[in-house]
Amino acid sequence: MSRGRIIFFGYGKFGYSIANELVEKGAEVLLIVEDELEYQSSLKDSRFKRSFLIDVTDDDKLKTLPIELEDQLVCLMDDDHLNVFLVLSLKALFPRNRILALSDSIHATRKLKMAGASQVIDLYSISANRIHNILNKPIATHFLEGFLDSKHEYSFREIEIPKGSFLHEKNLDTIDFRHYKIIFIGMIDTELANSFIFVTTGLEHKLDSGDIIVCIGKDEDLDNFEDLISYQEEQKE
Amino acid sequence: MKSSLKERIESSILQRILRLNQSTFYNNLRFRVNELLENKKNPYKRFLDYFIIFLILSSVFILIYEVNHKIPKWLDYYDIYFVSLIFFIEYLLRLWLSSNLMSDISKEYQQSIAIGKPFNIWKSLRAGLKKKFSYMITPAAIIDFLAILPAYRPLRVFRIFVLFRFLKLLRYTRSINQFVEVLASKRFELLTLLGLLFFVTLTGAIAIYILEDMRNPNIKNIFDAIYWSLVTITTVGYGDIAPISDMGRVIAMAIILFGIAMISFGTSVIVSAFSEKLNELKEERIIEEINKNREFLIVCGYGQMTKMFFRQSKPLYHSYIILEKDSQKVQEAIHDGYDAIVDDASRHETLRRFNIKGAKVTLLCMSHDDIENIYIILNAKSVDPRIRVIARASSPKLISKYERAGAEHILLPNQVAGTMMVTAILNPTIYKAIYAIFTGQNVALIDEIKVVEYSYLIKKEIGSIDLKKYKLILIGIKKEITKEFIFNPEDDVTIEEKDILLLMGHKANISYFREKSLSKNGDL
Repeated sequence: MSRGRIIFFGYGKFGYSIANELVEKGAEVLLIVEDELEYQSSLKDSRFKRSFLIDVTDDDKLKTLPIELEDQLVCLMDDDHLNVFLVLSLKALFPRNRILALSDSIHATRKLKMAGASQVIDLYSISANRIHNILNKPIATHFLEGFLDSKHEYSFREIEIPKGSFLHEKNLDTIDFRHYKIIFIGMIDTELANSFIFVTTGLEHKLDSGDIIVCIGKDEDLDNFEDLISYQEEQKE
Repeated sequence: MKSSLKERIESSILQRILRLNQSTFYNNLRFRVNELLENKKNPYKRFLDYFIIFLILSSVFILIYEVNHKIPKWLDYYDIYFVSLIFFIEYLLRLWLSSNLMSDISKEYQQSIAIGKPFNIWKSLRAGLKKKFSYMITPAAIIDFLAILPAYRPLRVFRIFVLFRFLKLLRYTRSINQFVEVLASKRFELLTLLGLLFFVTLTGAIAIYILEDMRNPNIKNIFDAIYWSLVTITTVGYGDIAPISDMGRVIAMAIILFGIAMISFGTSVIVSAFSEKLNELKEERIIEEINKNREFLIVCGYGQMTKMFFRQSKPLYHSYIILEKDSQKVQEAIHDGYDAIVDDASRHETLRRFNIKGAKVTLLCMSHDDIENIYIILNAKSVDPRIRVIARASSPKLISKYERAGAEHILLPNQVAGTMMVTAILNPTIYKAIYAIFTGQNVALIDEIKVVEYSYLIKKEIGSIDLKKYKLILIGIKKEITKEFIFNPEDDVTIEEKDILLLMGHKANISYFREKSLSKNGDL
């Protein structure tokens, strides 16, 4: 989980729901809007840390924003052109921050990447992919929908191996995750810039405390697993 | 006594008609003949068409060959009796099918009974026969009738009617038929042109006749003048008749100029008719092609979502057609290499053009306009509830409306993108993993493997399959019998035929395992 704040640009058709979801999940969100109406709407909602009404095309104004190094910058302006311009400005002013942007036009994705966005979510690409899945892999699609819908039937979870856990110094091969009703899908390599390694690549590793593994399963089973691995000895049911 | 005899005859005719109308045999026969002659989708119609085309061509060949050669007697008999008899039978059958005389009279009789009005059978018969006569004077029926005449050998002039046998081809060959249809679409322009041609030819003929009747030895009567005028106006100019006076030459010059203008006009009318109809003809061919498939997609609209959908699916696993109202977008789709036609999916007639009954059809409603999407869904479901619909909705609030309209799958692009965005912000480390799984990238593909008959997996317990060997993870199993999906199944769950395993792994490993699963022995 990222610890920095989220500097959120735009409170329109996409920004509104995403900003609110982030706040609901406990993130600290600073809202920056250009439109007076959007600004008024954000003020009514006191859940946001702060709201700013500025002209985002003006670099001098952007410089005055209280942006720190760990903060993530999220560009969700309704207008594609403005969004690309904003990413470009932010990259120039805050080159070391992580910049995320949403593209709702098939032409904008590449431009956003060229402008310097670290991560671009392409609305059309993801959606078109879903349609293919519905047509070709109905069961897989139904399963994956379990992660997305409001009920969140299944979740992905990053689990850190706590100090003194019985999993410490255990080989991944020897751990029966199925016993805990969860599926181990990979782990995060902290030595390699926090990159993710899938178990399907033939991962062989001896676990240490502090390692982060990623599992999928139902929330209660994941909670249960997190609870169990804090013990020094494996608990027998 | 006389009136009672008339009444008896009337009653007897009426009884026969009513009986015939209710007869299953008669109605079945009528239906079958109609299917054979008129239903383009009937597989046997094609054979009948080929047979008639053969008869036409052979008959025309015989009649032409006969002009300068002696032909064997049997070939003459074949032409006189066989071909003409078949054409005659065909003519009678078409006349029979042109209107339903029995049903019309029966309906009228029942109506008269219902309102207590005396029924006059002769009046009904007259009305019915009038309908038959209206059919007989249609161009197609006249051609059919005249095509029978060359069989009458004593009158040699009737042989010219062999041309009508040729015209019969119109009915049986689609391309010629379409050519005539195209010309018919410009009937007004062509008739105007013909009228003008007639008027100018006649004016030129009268003028040359008056001016040169006594002086020009080649113009003996008005027919010669009309012949000269037509030959000149069409720019053919045989030269057998030519004006000799100055005034005659002036008239010739005027009608030559007029002729050139008219030919250009005529050509442009025909060319424009073809260019207008060309797209329509192409579209019909596309629809015919797609209707041959047992499973196909109808994609409504060629917007950004459709473009992305097609970009992601090369090669396409499904046969498809794009329906788009905007002709410019259709041109764009065709330019991009996709099959698209200009049509409105919200119209009942549009969807009825497809083979909905005989194929498994999936409709993709990709428009960003919810009202339009819901209208299209309702239209599709009213045409046939079996059409599977995958629709795009702009807001979760609208899901209930889409469900009520009958959509099987509802896609919320904003919600999907929003969830991905939130994950990317809050869980940046595993975002790539989630993204790879959701978009089905090679390294972490989630795929389905159906357990086929004879597969070595049948009757095996989950725990006994060494998936680690294939570097695969079993996510779940969908049981065929209970239709239940078991996430992360226990080791003692037994695999049955037609169960579907949901696996995650590298694409190559999944393909390898799939191949193995098809065999009787997994260690092949």
